[in-house]
Amino acid sequence: MINLTINGKAITAPEGSTILEAARANGIDIPTLCYDKAVEVYGACGLCVVEAEGIPKLLRSCSAKVSEGMVVNTESERVVRSRKIAMELLMSAHDGDCVAPCQLNCPARTDCQGYVGLIANGEYDAAIKLIKNKISLPASIGRVCPHPCEKACRRQNVEEPINIAQLKAFAADMDLKADSYMPDVQESTGKKVAIIGGGPAGLTAAYYLTIMGHSVTVYDMMEKMGGMLRYGIPQYRLPKEVLDKEISLIEKTGVKFVNNSKLGKDFTIESLKAENDAVIVAVGAWKSSSMRTPGEELDGVYGGIDFLRGVIQGNAPEIGEKVAICGGGNTAMDACRTAVRLGAKEVYVVYRRTRAEMPADKLEIDEAEEEGVIYKFLTNPLSFNGEDGKVKSITLQVMELGEPDASGRRRPVPVEGKTEEIAVDSVILAIGQKLVQGDVSELELNERGNIVADADFFTTSIDGVFAIGDATNRGASIAIEAIGEADRCAKAVDAYLNGQELDTRVPYISKRDEDTIDYSDREKKDRVNPKVLPADVRNKNFDEVSLGFTEDEAKAEADRCLECGCREYYKCKFLNVAQRYDINPERFKGEMPQKYSHDENAFIERNTSKCILCGLCVRSCREVMKLSSIGLMGRGFTTDVSPAFSLPLDETNCNNCGLCVQLCPTGSLTEKFNLPKQVPLNEQYSEEFVEIDGKKSSVVVSRYNGKILRVIPNDEVSRNSGLSREQLRALVD
Amino acid sequence: MRIVIGQGSCGIAAGAEKVRKALLNTNINKDDISITGCIGMCYLEPIVDIYDDNNEVTRLVQVSENDAETIAQYAQSGDKSLLDKLIVSDEDSEFLTKQTRIALRNCGIINPEKIDEYVGAGGYEAIKKALTKMTPEEVIDVVKTSGIGGRGGAGFPTWFKWNAARSSEGEEKYLICNADEGDPGAFMDRAVIESDPHNLIEGMLIGAYAIGAKHAVVYVRAEYPLAIKRLKKAIEQAKEKGLIGNNIFGTDFSCDFMIKAGAGAFVCGEETALIESLEGHRGMPRLKPPFPAQSGFWRKPSNINNVETFANIAWIINNGGEAFAAMGTEGSKGTKVFAVTGKVKRSGLVEIPMGKTLRDVIFDIGGGMKTDKDFKAVQMGGPSGGCIPANLIDTVIDYKALGATGAIMGSGGMVVMDESTCMVGMAKFFLDFTAKESCGKCIHCRIGTKRMLEMLDRITKGEGKEGDIELLEELCYSIKDGALCGLGQTAPNPVLTTIKYFRDEYEAHIKDKKCPAGECSDLIEYRIDADKCKGCTLCARNCPVNAISGEVKKPHIIDTDKCIKCGKCYTVCKFGAVVKE
Repeated sequence: MINLTINGKAITAPEGSTILEAARANGIDIPTLCYDKAVEVYGACGLCVVEAEGIPKLLRSCSAKVSEGMVVNTESERVVRSRKIAMELLMSAHDGDCVAPCQLNCPARTDCQGYVGLIANGEYDAAIKLIKNKISLPASIGRVCPHPCEKACRRQNVEEPINIAQLKAFAADMDLKADSYMPDVQESTGKKVAIIGGGPAGLTAAYYLTIMGHSVTVYDMMEKMGGMLRYGIPQYRLPKEVLDKEISLIEKTGVKFVNNSKLGKDFTIESLKAENDAVIVAVGAWKSSSMRTPGEELDGVYGGIDFLRGVIQGNAPEIGEKVAICGGGNTAMDACRTAVRLGAKEVYVVYRRTRAEMPADKLEIDEAEEEGVIYKFLTNPLSFNGEDGKVKSITLQVMELGEPDASGRRRPVPVEGKTEEIAVDSVILAIGQKLVQGDVSELELNERGNIVADADFFTTSIDGVFAIGDATNRGASIAIEAIGEADRCAKAVDAYLNGQELDTRVPYISKRDEDTIDYSDREKKDRVNPKVLPADVRNKNFDEVSLGFTEDEAKAEADRCLECGCREYYKCKFLNVAQRYDINPERFKGEMPQKYSHDENAFIERNTSKCILCGLCVRSCREVMKLSSIGLMGRGFTTDVSPAFSLPLDETNCNNCGLCVQLCPTGSLTEKFNLPKQVPLNEQYSEEFVEIDGKKSSVVVSRYNGKILRVIPNDEVSRNSGLSREQLRALVD
Repeated sequence: MRIVIGQGSCGIAAGAEKVRKALLNTNINKDDISITGCIGMCYLEPIVDIYDDNNEVTRLVQVSENDAETIAQYAQSGDKSLLDKLIVSDEDSEFLTKQTRIALRNCGIINPEKIDEYVGAGGYEAIKKALTKMTPEEVIDVVKTSGIGGRGGAGFPTWFKWNAARSSEGEEKYLICNADEGDPGAFMDRAVIESDPHNLIEGMLIGAYAIGAKHAVVYVRAEYPLAIKRLKKAIEQAKEKGLIGNNIFGTDFSCDFMIKAGAGAFVCGEETALIESLEGHRGMPRLKPPFPAQSGFWRKPSNINNVETFANIAWIINNGGEAFAAMGTEGSKGTKVFAVTGKVKRSGLVEIPMGKTLRDVIFDIGGGMKTDKDFKAVQMGGPSGGCIPANLIDTVIDYKALGATGAIMGSGGMVVMDESTCMVGMAKFFLDFTAKESCGKCIHCRIGTKRMLEMLDRITKGEGKEGDIELLEELCYSIKDGALCGLGQTAPNPVLTTIKYFRDEYEAHIKDKKCPAGECSDLIEYRIDADKCKGCTLCARNCPVNAISGEVKKPHIIDTDKCIKCGKCYTVCKFGAVVKE
């Protein structure tokens, strides 16, 4: 035995063993991407380098042997620097998306590609489980979300984005119909958390903290839970029955609800804090913003959310026949379409820019118009004019578009001296909403008048008190933003309650350069939208406008997904090593070595643009299987792995043993799933044994949600059996 | 009288074969006309040496086929005045007389295709001496005394490698000659094989005897067809004479020879990649350890030396290790061959004792710059080496002294540059070579050199940004540290040394978007100085894109939007009116 020291730890190792073997045998992890016991050492990746005292060069630990008295450092500054640059260089030439852009653009990081793919495959229960990892109110959010995911969806480069939000609503509706999914709740921690506010933020935090085993109580000032989802979104867009069902599922996990209980009146933050281990403030923004226009104080001028709440609560304010809504966002749309449904004859939307700049969802803008709403674009209220204290007309300043402002939209500027007057019975101001400051006077506020909350930890000026959602930092935003914060806040509170440190590092993700993607080979398929009630029917009632997807529609729509995210994301060794070092491959951004291309047969898919040239596939095919079906081609930067003579894999002597796939440390070689639509899933792997020709043989089985996704031969017998994947799967089943 | 035509590749390229044919068509006795290899004065090719009956030589240079008759007349009349225009100048003669030739001792003198001429020059005496009078250990001792180091570039002591291979266990051993000379601008090894192949064979036989190998292999690049042809012929002749084969000189020593033509990958000059290629695999380096001395060709103990190293061995055995060690410096013994090219007046092969200075080679022997521009720098050791600037011209040729500058001795490439060479462009040129020649195996070399090249490309296009130099340096050190083989580990040297000595030139490209040497076409503009322009229209007529306009006898103007910066106007103007800035 040889005595040596690794990272200050005295160890012994058999003579002739490598530093890597010695380190691993002693629980010291040295990263490698080209090493595998099955094949001869290669030394390509250079990640296994270590420093040994007295040796000027870095040693590749996969090949350097231990020697008596050797003093090795596997994480010295020089070693880390070398590995970091190696990873940055590798990543700079790795043309792949770890995660689909839809998921990255969702503020809650919902795995959109995952559930869309599962829906395409008819795996609805798996889809809802995946969704509920991030969203506890998917049927509601699916209906109301302005879907940033769809804005990032690459399908729009072919024709139109995938209808991701509606697919989510579809999967959630399927789940609500029968035997709804209930998450496993962890054993009680004995910790108590109070949450102030039962809107999307508060409910989400409650749901995830409860699943983690904490005892959570939500306090809300209103009669029922749901916050703005209930009191700010009209019935025709989100039926309260749907919301009720979803909230009741949250309640079923064990969350305690206390309604009609108001901060500052029934309790204070301090009082809750005294009774709980942590408090989360998620009170939202319940005050309509002012336009600071003369005449706002007149009777008949209402705040947008106040108006909507009144209607929902059954005490709609008097609006008369002529109504003007000021604003261009989704609240303005909700207000004007509600006004139409209340029977107003002339409903105007006054907006200072044009239709193209309206922040509201395009579908909403179109549907409102179909219902009879009149748009007054390029106008801005100069004054609300009244008689006897009651609003009678609006003087509008006519605007035109000037130079683009900071948001990139063209700035509206008044046309000197040009005004217009319209007669109205009421005005609804839907230009934004604000926190009611008096409620949270115990906390430090910022210059915008919102609660100061840490961006990563959600901590406030009081220890143990956290804040999320519309009431914090930059103010009101969309529900999914608050839900994302709530999910992350739940983790932060959990870490706080357990006295653990929260890892706030943003994991490194490889992203393709959008400009380099070619869609010319994609077949055009129209986006499927759910059917809606006819405009002349729906404008007279509050029935839900959308009829939702049928199963066939949902599957057809989900099938349009381009499958941007990598199927090997969850088991990518390359990505895993990337997380160990704080890498910045951007600084080496340059040409990509290979054109993004696929080559596939029934089981194996090759994508050399993701290849990191570790050589494991080529070497295992040659050394273990003695086949050499694939080899290295070209030189330098454009070196590539290619089937023999550049033939399609099926025309070589490849026997589909899958060894190359098994050893590929990234997503360059993958085995397809036993699913019609390929989708990245966090599979569970297990080694299992089957009998082939009377011989016991090992296979690796991957399952997801109980279903076998792939069966990969794992020894000489199964690799040389000649059995197809279907036959192997039948043996496992 | 003998008429000998220099027929190395360089001579043939300059037209030596045409000259030979023309001479054969004269009335000169055909038996009096023969060939030799590379004489070494590439810039004066084709060269014809006329030996009189006293073996006095008259050297004719830049001979063309049209001179054949003149030579024939001289042969008949003995009237030397006929040759006045062809005879080499005294100054040019010094190019050779100032050299000390050991490895090249027979080059340009004997006929490389005739073994008898080699034997006549004392050839195969050393192997006879070694086999009949010395033990392998004694041979290794003499080599140790000589102090010779590997001439492939690193200078590792030859005796040590031989001894390691000898000490390795195993019956089957291989002696391999690395003739995969690939550095741009280097042609020392080619010259030795083409001009004196038996000297290589003899050196290898001695090496094979010393390490106990029965098989000798020459790995030579396929781009050297003449070298391969002559070496094949030499092996055949040596076999016929019993110098290759079984029981050489009646001793127990037997050795066969094999030639393997490499397919043109630079990396196969790296010894482990060379072995992979020999075995029929893709030329990619193997991890060391194990070293070839333990596990090399077919996993048997193998020893690999460079052509020039072997070319010195017979001389060392004949003259003793001390004689060799008497030349050179403390750490670098013997002589070294350099292939001097570039902006130098006299280019060619130069063999000089170690310890001379760069000035001796470039100015004393090479004659300085061929243009009126000043000497700027010399790139030593090809793409693996580095540049040495003018102010270090007195650096001594010695492994340690050259290494201290950041450059290397290398295999002997010496590219001389004057003030018109952009050093960023120069680094880019060599890096482009290594990046393309990377085998693609390790990350640092495959991607690192590519990224460096992209950065240099941006810099020479005027798209460099603040921090690029620092990033380049960071990448350079990282590649040196992390690359798998010598190719990658040395690839950053041209960049590092140019940054070290010409940082201001990099900064000018990045900050001022200017190329001080006026070589980067994206950063220069041509204009016509109206005061100097005579309106001769020569530039306008030569411009390939019609970017120059103007009336006859009036100053012309260059349309910079149309100009493709080819520099043609600049070259043709007789009045210096075209300004490059």
